Amino acid sequence: MAGGAAVSVRGITKRYGDVVACDHIDLDLRGGEIHGILGENGAGKSTLMKILIGLVGPDEGRVEVNGRAESITDPQRAAALGIGMVHQHFSLVDELLVWENVVLGERGRLDRSAARSLVTTIGDRYGLGLDPDALVGDLTAGLRQRVEIVKCLRRDPAIVIFDEPTSVLTPQESEQLFAVLRIAVRDEDKAVALVSHKLDEILAATDVVSILRRGRVVDSMVTSAADARSLAQAMVGRPVSLRGSAMTLALGIIPDTVSDTTSDPGRGTAGHSGIGPDEPDPPTTTTSSAAPTTVRPALRIGNAVITRRGRVTLDHLTLDVYAGEIVGVAGVEGNGQADLVDLLSSLVALDDGLVEVDGVEVVSGRAGAMGAAGIALIPEDRHDSGCVLELSVAENLELSDLGRGRAFGRIDRAARCHHAERLIAEYAISCTGPDAPLASLSGGNQQRVVLARELSGHPRVLVAAQPTRGLDVGAIEFMGQRLRTAADNGIAVLLISSELEEILHLADRVVVIHAGRIRGDMRRAPAPEAAFDIDRLGLMMGGVVEAPEHV
Amino acid sequence: MNDRLTVPALYVASIGGAIVLSALLVSVTGGSAFAVFDALVDGSLRSPGAWGLTVTTMAPLLLVATGAIAATRAGLVNIGQEGQLLVGACFGAYLAVRLPGPGPLVLVATLLFAAVGGGLWAGIAALLKAWRNVPEVLTTLILTFVSFPLLTFGLRRRSLIGDRDTTRVNHINSGEQIPFDTRLPDLRIAGNQIDSAAILAVTVAAVAIYVLERTRLGARIDVLGLNPRAAQRFGVPQRPVAAGVLVASGCFAGVAGAVLLTGGTAGDRLSFGYSGNYGWDGLLVALLARNRVLVAIPMAFVFAALRTGSSFLATTGVDRKMTDVVQALLVLALLLPAAIEYVRRARGGRQPVAADRPGLGRRLAPVGGEVV
Repeated sequence: MAGGAAVSVRGITKRYGDVVACDHIDLDLRGGEIHGILGENGAGKSTLMKILIGLVGPDEGRVEVNGRAESITDPQRAAALGIGMVHQHFSLVDELLVWENVVLGERGRLDRSAARSLVTTIGDRYGLGLDPDALVGDLTAGLRQRVEIVKCLRRDPAIVIFDEPTSVLTPQESEQLFAVLRIAVRDEDKAVALVSHKLDEILAATDVVSILRRGRVVDSMVTSAADARSLAQAMVGRPVSLRGSAMTLALGIIPDTVSDTTSDPGRGTAGHSGIGPDEPDPPTTTTSSAAPTTVRPALRIGNAVITRRGRVTLDHLTLDVYAGEIVGVAGVEGNGQADLVDLLSSLVALDDGLVEVDGVEVVSGRAGAMGAAGIALIPEDRHDSGCVLELSVAENLELSDLGRGRAFGRIDRAARCHHAERLIAEYAISCTGPDAPLASLSGGNQQRVVLARELSGHPRVLVAAQPTRGLDVGAIEFMGQRLRTAADNGIAVLLISSELEEILHLADRVVVIHAGRIRGDMRRAPAPEAAFDIDRLGLMMGGVVEAPEHV
Repeated sequence: MNDRLTVPALYVASIGGAIVLSALLVSVTGGSAFAVFDALVDGSLRSPGAWGLTVTTMAPLLLVATGAIAATRAGLVNIGQEGQLLVGACFGAYLAVRLPGPGPLVLVATLLFAAVGGGLWAGIAALLKAWRNVPEVLTTLILTFVSFPLLTFGLRRRSLIGDRDTTRVNHINSGEQIPFDTRLPDLRIAGNQIDSAAILAVTVAAVAIYVLERTRLGARIDVLGLNPRAAQRFGVPQRPVAAGVLVASGCFAGVAGAVLLTGGTAGDRLSFGYSGNYGWDGLLVALLARNRVLVAIPMAFVFAALRTGSSFLATTGVDRKMTDVVQALLVLALLLPAAIEYVRRARGGRQPVAADRPGLGRRLAPVGGEVV
C-alpha cells in the first residue's frame, strides 16, 4: 500500500443537470494492486472511469498521474499518460482478423509480421492464448474480450481499467480473466481498476476495494479485511440480509446452500422436463405461486431452427412455457437469445420447427403474427423494435393496433388520447402528456410505455429480454413486480437474460441456452433457500455439461 | 450550448447569407443585384399574368414533391422522379393522341395512364427492392438515366410516341401534338391564366396530407420509415408496403409528366429533355419541406417563382443560369440550419465509443469448447 499512487483522483465532481454522478470523489490507484470499484448501477462508477479515460470532463477536481496534475481531455491523451481501458462492450470488427483488429486505427505503414508477433508476445506474457490469424467473428465472447485486452495492453499502459468485464463471460471465463489481471499486477506492477457491481468477483479478484454510493466513495478497505455482508451494506447503504433474499441474488452473492432438483433422484423425472425432440412432461411441481393451471403450454417452441448467413443460431430449440410461470432463459450473450427474441417478435422466419400459442400454430416471420397471436414482448433494446422515439407517447401506446383495421380508416385521435391518459396514470409514466414525443422521456419511463402497451393488450405470453438492463434500482424492482404480477394473472412469462442474478431472482424454472439449444432445465426447489445450483448453471452456460438425462 | 444561435436565428442568418452571396455573385458577373431581384419578381409575380404562370408551374413540382415525401416518410429514397415523370409523360402522350372519345374523358384517361407509366418505372425499382432488397436509391437514379434514351427510342418510332404527321417540318425526334380538347382547361383570374392542374395538384396534396396524418395507412408509413423492425413486429411488412409506396410515388411523378403535357408550360408535344428538371426540382422541394406536404405547397411556389422569374433575367444582362445558382444557394441555406441542429444533437448525445448500445450479443459467436 505504500509508495506513490499511479493515479490520484482528488475531489472529482460531475453533474448532469440536477443529478450528481460523482460527488467529490477521492481515489488512488497504485501499481501492483487490483483496485475494486464497487457500486450499484448509477452509483457513479462508469462516470468516474470515463473521466479517467478522457471521455467525460469533470466539473470540479483534478486527476494526478504519477504525482503530476494532468488534464485528460480525450482518450488519446489518456493513452499517452499510460491509462488504458477495456470496455464492457466490445468494439471489434467481425470481418477482420485478430491482428488486424489489434492494429486498427494505427497510423503509418501496416507491418503485418510485427503486428502478428505483437499479438503472440502479449498473448504469451499474460497467458491469453490468442491466434493472431483467427477471424474475430468466429471467436467466443471470452476470446473477443482477450482481443480487447491485447488492444489495450499493446500500448503497455501503467494503469488499466476494466469496466464490468465479466458481463458477457461465463463464470469459468471470468476466472481466467482474473488470472490475467493477477499477472499484470504481479509481474508488471501495473495498476488495475476492476469496476463491478458483483460482490463475489470483487472479493475474489481484488486487493483493495472502494465502494461508491450515489456518487460518493462511502468506504474503502483492504479486500482481505472485507466480507460480503459489510460490502453489501456499504453499497446499498443499509443492512442487508444476505441469505436467500432477493437482495442477495441481485448482488451476485451465492448462498452456500443450494439445491438442484436435477440431481435429486427422488424428484428427478417429475421435477425436470427433459429436453430434445420428445414431449416434455407437463410440470407437476408443487411450487406454490407458479403452479401451472393448464397442461397445454401457453407458448410452445418446437425444434426451432434458424440459420443466418450459414451459421445456425437456433439449433432445434424446444421450449415450453406454461401459463402462470416465469421461465428464465439463462445463458451467455450470443447463444441464440437474439434470434429467439426476433422469432417471437415476428422479425425472423423459422427454417424448421414451429411456434404455437395455446396450441395454435403461429406463422413465423409474418409481420405482426406473433403479437396478434397473443405474444407480448419487451425487447432488450426498446429502441430497436419496442418503440418509435420520434412518435408521441400516445402513438407508441397504440403501436400494437398498427397492423389492424382498414388502411384508409381514420385514426380516432380522441380515443387514442383517452387510452394513453389511462395507461399513463396506471403505469405512473412520467411525461408531459399523451402528445409528448417518446424521445423526451427518460429511459425508465420509455420502458414503462413499452410495458404498458404490451400488458394492456391482454397477452397470453409475455417475453421479456433483458428487461432491466440500464435501469436504476427502483425501475428494476417495478419491472420485477410487473413480471410477477403478470405470471400470477395467468400469463406465461419468458424471461431472457444474461444476468444470472435477475433470472435466479424472478424465475420459477430456469433453462440454459447454449449454442442455440436449450441445455438444461431446473426448477426452483421448494426448499427454504429457494435457490438453484449455480455451479451447474455456469457449466451449462459454458456448454461444458448438459442436463444429466440428456447425454 | 446555450450561447449558440437558436434555430429561427440560424434560418435568418443562413437565408440572409445566401441572399448576400447571390447578390455578390451577380455584382461580380457585372450585373446589378437590385435589377436582378426586380426582374425575378417581375417575371414571377408582378408583370401581367405572371403569378398565374407561376402557379401553373407549381403544379408538377408539387405533384412530384408529394410523391417524394410519401416515399421518404416510408423510409425510402426515391430520387428517380425525373425519369418517372418522363415515362409518365410518354405513356400519357401515347394515349392522348390515340384514344377516341370525348376530350375530357381522354384527358382523365391520359392522366391515369401517365400515373401507370410513372408507377411502372418506379415499380421496377420496387420489384428489385422487394425481391432482392436492391437499394432503391441506386435503381431509381439509374432508371432515370435509362429513361432518357428510352424517350429518344420512342420518338424515333411512329408506332410508339413519334409524330405520325410526317408532313410537318421538324417532325423527326418529336412527339405528336396533344389535341386541344384533351388539354387541361385554364382558369382566368384577374388577367392570369391558371392551369387547372394547380387545383389538381393542391387537391392531391390535401388528400396526401389527410392520408399521411389522419389514417392508419399514414401511421403505418411513418412507423415503417422511422423504425422498420418495429413496423414488422406490429404488423406492417416492410417489403410489400415499401414497394407499394415507391410505386405510388412514381405514379405522382407520372401524373406530373402528363400535367406538363396537357396543361403545363413545357410545350404540347414530347421532345428531348422534355422533363426539364421538373423531377429534380420537385425532389428538392420535398427535401426542403422536410417531409411535410403542407410545407411543400409554398416551397413549390417559391421554386416555380424562380423558374418563371428567371425568364425575365435576359433584360438585366445576367445569365439565366444565375437563377440555378441562386436556387442552389437557397437550398443550401434552408438545409444548413437543420444540418447544424443534427450535428449538435449528435455531438451532445455522443456516447463513449464502446459503452453505448447494449446488445444481446447479436454478432457474438457462441461460447463453447474453449480450453478451460
